[in-house]
Amino acid sequence: MGDKLLIRTFDVEVGDCIYIRIPEGPDGFHILIDCGSKGRIALLQRAIKQLRSILPRGSSRNRRRLDLIIVTHRHADHIKGFDPDFFKTIEIGNIWLSAGMNAEHPQAERTFALHDNVRGMVQDMVHQNIALGPVEEDLLSLYGIGNDGAVEALKEIMPNRNNIQPTYVHAGMSSKDDPIKLSLKDTVLHILAPEEDIDGFYLGKEADESLRQLEEFSTLFADTATTDPNNQPTNVSLADFQKLQSRMLSNPLAFAESDSSIQNNLSVVLLIEWKGRRLLFVGDAEWEGVFKEEKHNGSWETMWNRRRDLLGQPIDFLKVGHHGSKNSSPWNPNKDETYEVNQILDAILPLPADGEQPRAQAIVSTMRKPYKSIPSATLLAELGRRVYNVRNYKQALEAAGYDPTELPHFNQYEAHSIDQPQPLRTDLERILDGQGFVDIEIDPL
Amino acid sequence: MKEEKTFQKLNKEQRFNFYGASHFLNNQNEKDSGLQIPFEVYLQDPMVASEDIGFGFDEKFYVRWEPGLSDGPTSARFAIVDYNSDTGQLMAPAHWNAKEFEFTKDGQPLNANNSDSFQFHQLNVWALLQNALNFFEHGNGLGRPIPWGFEGNRLIVVPHAGYGKNAFYDRESKSLQFYYFGPSSNRVYTCLSADIIHHEFGHAVLDGIRPYFIESSSLETAAFHEFVADFTAILIILRNNTFRKRLVELTKGDWSKAKQLSFIAEEFGRRVKDRPYLRSADNKLRMRNVRGKIISPHNYSQVMTGAMYSILRKISEAYMGENSKLSASQSYYLAVDRMQRTAIQPLDLLPPVDVTFRDYALAVLRAEELSHPKDPNNYFGLMLDVFVQRGILSRRDKREQLESRYLYYPVRMQVFHDIDRLSSSRAAAYRFLDDNREVLFIPRNRDIVVADLYRAKKYARQRRRLPDQIILEYIWREDLQLDDPKYGQLNGTTVSMLCGGTLVFDQNGNVLSWFRKPGTESIGTRKAQKAEQRAGKARQKSFLKEIYGLVRNGQLGLADEQRAASIARRLPTITAREVDGRMQFHLSPHINLSDTDHDKGERQWEISS
Repeated sequence: MGDKLLIRTFDVEVGDCIYIRIPEGPDGFHILIDCGSKGRIALLQRAIKQLRSILPRGSSRNRRRLDLIIVTHRHADHIKGFDPDFFKTIEIGNIWLSAGMNAEHPQAERTFALHDNVRGMVQDMVHQNIALGPVEEDLLSLYGIGNDGAVEALKEIMPNRNNIQPTYVHAGMSSKDDPIKLSLKDTVLHILAPEEDIDGFYLGKEADESLRQLEEFSTLFADTATTDPNNQPTNVSLADFQKLQSRMLSNPLAFAESDSSIQNNLSVVLLIEWKGRRLLFVGDAEWEGVFKEEKHNGSWETMWNRRRDLLGQPIDFLKVGHHGSKNSSPWNPNKDETYEVNQILDAILPLPADGEQPRAQAIVSTMRKPYKSIPSATLLAELGRRVYNVRNYKQALEAAGYDPTELPHFNQYEAHSIDQPQPLRTDLERILDGQGFVDIEIDPL
Repeated sequence: MKEEKTFQKLNKEQRFNFYGASHFLNNQNEKDSGLQIPFEVYLQDPMVASEDIGFGFDEKFYVRWEPGLSDGPTSARFAIVDYNSDTGQLMAPAHWNAKEFEFTKDGQPLNANNSDSFQFHQLNVWALLQNALNFFEHGNGLGRPIPWGFEGNRLIVVPHAGYGKNAFYDRESKSLQFYYFGPSSNRVYTCLSADIIHHEFGHAVLDGIRPYFIESSSLETAAFHEFVADFTAILIILRNNTFRKRLVELTKGDWSKAKQLSFIAEEFGRRVKDRPYLRSADNKLRMRNVRGKIISPHNYSQVMTGAMYSILRKISEAYMGENSKLSASQSYYLAVDRMQRTAIQPLDLLPPVDVTFRDYALAVLRAEELSHPKDPNNYFGLMLDVFVQRGILSRRDKREQLESRYLYYPVRMQVFHDIDRLSSSRAAAYRFLDDNREVLFIPRNRDIVVADLYRAKKYARQRRRLPDQIILEYIWREDLQLDDPKYGQLNGTTVSMLCGGTLVFDQNGNVLSWFRKPGTESIGTRKAQKAEQRAGKARQKSFLKEIYGLVRNGQLGLADEQRAASIARRLPTITAREVDGRMQFHLSPHINLSDTDHDKGERQWEISS
C-alpha cells in the first residue's frame, strides 16, 4: 500500500464514484465519495465490484470494510449506484450526507418546500403530456421516483444493516470534533459546504418570495377566474392555440432548474488535510457571481466569504466539479482577476511563475453525453495551466492510434483545446487504457 | 341606456358604407359620429394612477369600430386569448355587446368600476393595441397597413400568461405574452402597463415591417429592436391628449421635469429593479459607452433612445422659443406630431437586414429632407448634431450630409422599368432588379429574393400628403464556412451573411432613398463597383468578428440546446439554429423586458442538473 494517498476515480460516464485510500493505521482509511451516473447502472455495479476487490477485509473473510461514505447531494449522477445489493458484503463505518438531504433540517424548510412544490408542478406537467426536449426531460427526471430508492438506501437500509446512523454534515464540521469525529492521526476532514443556513445562503429571499407569489396567484386565478368550459378559444385555430401553449414560459421548468441549481450548491465540499497536502472534493458546487447577503448564492462564493481560512490557500488536488461544466469551476474568462470568482481560482490553483511547475493535480469524471457542452474544453485547458498531471490528448490519442477528430462533437467542443494540456479526463483515459478507472497518487509533503 | 350617436342609429348596411368611407373623415368627425367608441383604460399603469389621479384613467380613449368586433376582444388584427400557463385555465373573454357598442362582463360594461376583473384587463390591453396600430399605420407614421412577421393577420395577445417578471413578443407563436408578479398587496399585471404594452408591440411592428432583422447576429440590431420598442412607448403616450394635458400641468413646458415620459415602465421598473424606471430616455450615453461592451441589447439601445429623446426635447423647446405665442401644450403637441414623422417614417427607408444605429440616423435625416425640404429653422442640422455628438454618426458623415445634395438619387438604370409595372407585383420587381444588377451592385450569380414591396401614403406637416412612396426590399445570402476553433460550437458550420437593399421610389419612379448591405463578390470593375465590394468585405469581417464575440462572451445559444426556451433565465441574447444545412442567427426568440447584463460569461446558459 505504501505511504501514498490514492484517489481512484471510476469511469462511470457522467457521474461521480471516487474512492480515496488514506495511509492511516495498519490498513488505511477508506472513503467512497458518491456513487452515481447518468449512464447505465451496470457501470456502477462494475465500479463497486472493482472497489470491493481493493478494500481491506471486514469482520469476516468474505466481507470488506469501507470506513466512510460521503454523499455530496441527491442528484442521480451522484447517488444512483447506492443499491443495497451492491454493498451487501461491504461493511460501512460511517455515512455522511449533505445537510441539504435532511428533510428535517430547520434552516432548509423553504428549500425543501421549493423542491416539493416543483415536484408537484412537474408531476402535473408530466400528466399534461407536453412534448419536451432532452434538456427538459433530463431536468424533469430529477423528480422521478428513481432517486427515492437510493435516498432510502442511504438513510435507512444501509445504516440499519451496519448499525450506524447517517450524519448530515454542513460547513464548519471537521473530523476532529463531534458529531463527525474520526480516529485519524495524520488526517483532518473539513466540511466547507453547504452552510447550515441553507435557506439563507442558497435559496435567497427572492426565490422564496417568487414561489409564494406563484402560489398566491394560482389560487387567485383558480378561485376567481371564470373559466371557459371548453378550455378552447374560439378566436384562434386549435393549431395556433397549441403552438401558443408550447411557447409560453414554463414556471415548473424554471423552478425545476432553480431547484436543481440549489441542489448542486448543497453539495458537500470536502477538504482533506493530510501530511501537509490539501485535497478538495467539490461535488457539483456551482458559482453564481459576487456574493450577496440573503440572495441566491453559489457554493463557491459562499465558501469564499465564509470559509476563506480553509479555502483560500493553494491546494494539491481538485476533483473538478460538475463533470467539467463551466458552472462549477470558479472561472469567468470575460472578467479580470479582480472578479471575486476568478480570485477563488487564483487562490486555490494559482498560475505558476515562469519556469515553475504547478503544485496541484486534478481529475474530471465526465463524458460528452447527454450534454454536448459538458465538459467545457476551454475550462479544462485553463485548469491545464494550473495543475501538473496533464495530458495533451491530441498527441496521446494519436499515439494510441485514435483519430481525435472522431470524438463526439469534435469541431464544436474539442478542437480549440485538444492540443493543449488538460487535467486527466475519465472519458478520454478510457480510450487510452480502458481499465475502468483513473488513479492519482499523492505523496506526503 | 347610453345616448346613441349617428353611427349607432344606422342599419347594418349603412354602417358598413359609413365605415368604408371613413378615410374621408377626420378624427373629430369619427368621434362625433360614434364611429370611434370611447373606452376607459389606464393611462399609464395602476401604480402611476394611484399616485397621481391626473395620470389615472383615460375616460375618453377612442377606438374605431370595425365590422368584425367580437368577444375576446377580437378585431381584424388582434385576438385576445386569456390563457394562463400556470393554471391551464382559459379565462372567459370580454363579451362584445353589438347593440350597445361596448364590451361587458356579466352584462356590465367594462370600465374603471370593474378594473379588477380579468375581462377589464383584456379590454385594456386590446384598446391600447388598437390605438398603437393606428399610430404606426397613420400617415404621420408609415402610411400603410402593417403586416405581421408571421403567417396570419391576427396577433394573439395573452394578458395573463402566467407568473413572471416578464412580457414579450414571440413570432413563433404569433403572440404578445404578458405575465404578472408581486405579493397580494402589490400585484403587477404587465398587461395594464401602457409602456410595456407599447414596448412589446413595437417589437411586433418592427418584426412585421423588417422580418429579417430578427435573423441577425448583431447586438446592435438587437438593440435597435429595443430602441424602436422604447421610443414607440414614449411617442404613443405623448400623443395621448389626457396624458399630455397632465404633463403640461406638471412641467409647465420644462422638459427636465418630464420624468413620467422618459421613465419607461414606471411600475415594472420600481417593483423589479428597485428604481423608478427600467430605462431612462433622458440620458447622455454615447456609442463609446456601449460599443464592444458585454451588455444587453436593452442597455445598448439607450444611446439611440437618448438621441431621439434629445431631438424631441430640442424641437419642443425650439417651438416654444421661436414663437412665444405657442403655449407649452401647443409646443408639446406640435413636437410630438413632428416627432412621429421624424422617428417612424424613416423605418421604411431602412435596409432589410442588419440595421445599425448609423443606418437609422441617416434614414432619419433623409426622411427629414423629403418631408421638410425647406427647413428654415435647420432642424436637419439640429438632428445631425445630436447624432454626431452621440457618436452615432462620424464627423465625416456630417460633412457628407452637409454637402449639396440631390433631391433624387442619381441612379441611371440600365433597363428602364415603368414604376407602375415595377410595383405591380414582387415578380415584376424582381425583373427590374435582375435587369439592373450591375447598377444596383447585385452579384450576377446570386438568386435574389424580393423581401417586400409596398406603397405608402405618408404625411408631411399639417396632414399635407407627400408623394406616394413605393418601397422595394431585396435580399440575398452569402454562405461562409466557419473553420477555426475560436468559433467554438459553431466551428465547422456554414453560416449566412444576409445582403440586400431597400429602394424607395416616388410615384414617378424617382429614387428617393437607397440603403444597401453589400456582399463580397465581384460586381464589376468600375470604381463604384469596386468600392461596393470593398464595403462588402468589410461587412464580412465585422460579421465574423461579431460571431467570435458572441461565442467568446457567452451570448450565443444553440437552438437544439435551447429547447428549454421556456425557462426565462436561460434565454441567450442570440440563438443559432440549423436551417437547410446552415446556421441561421436569431435574436432572442423571446424579446423580454429584462435588462439584466449577465456577468457569468460562458457559464450563463449551462443547465444545472
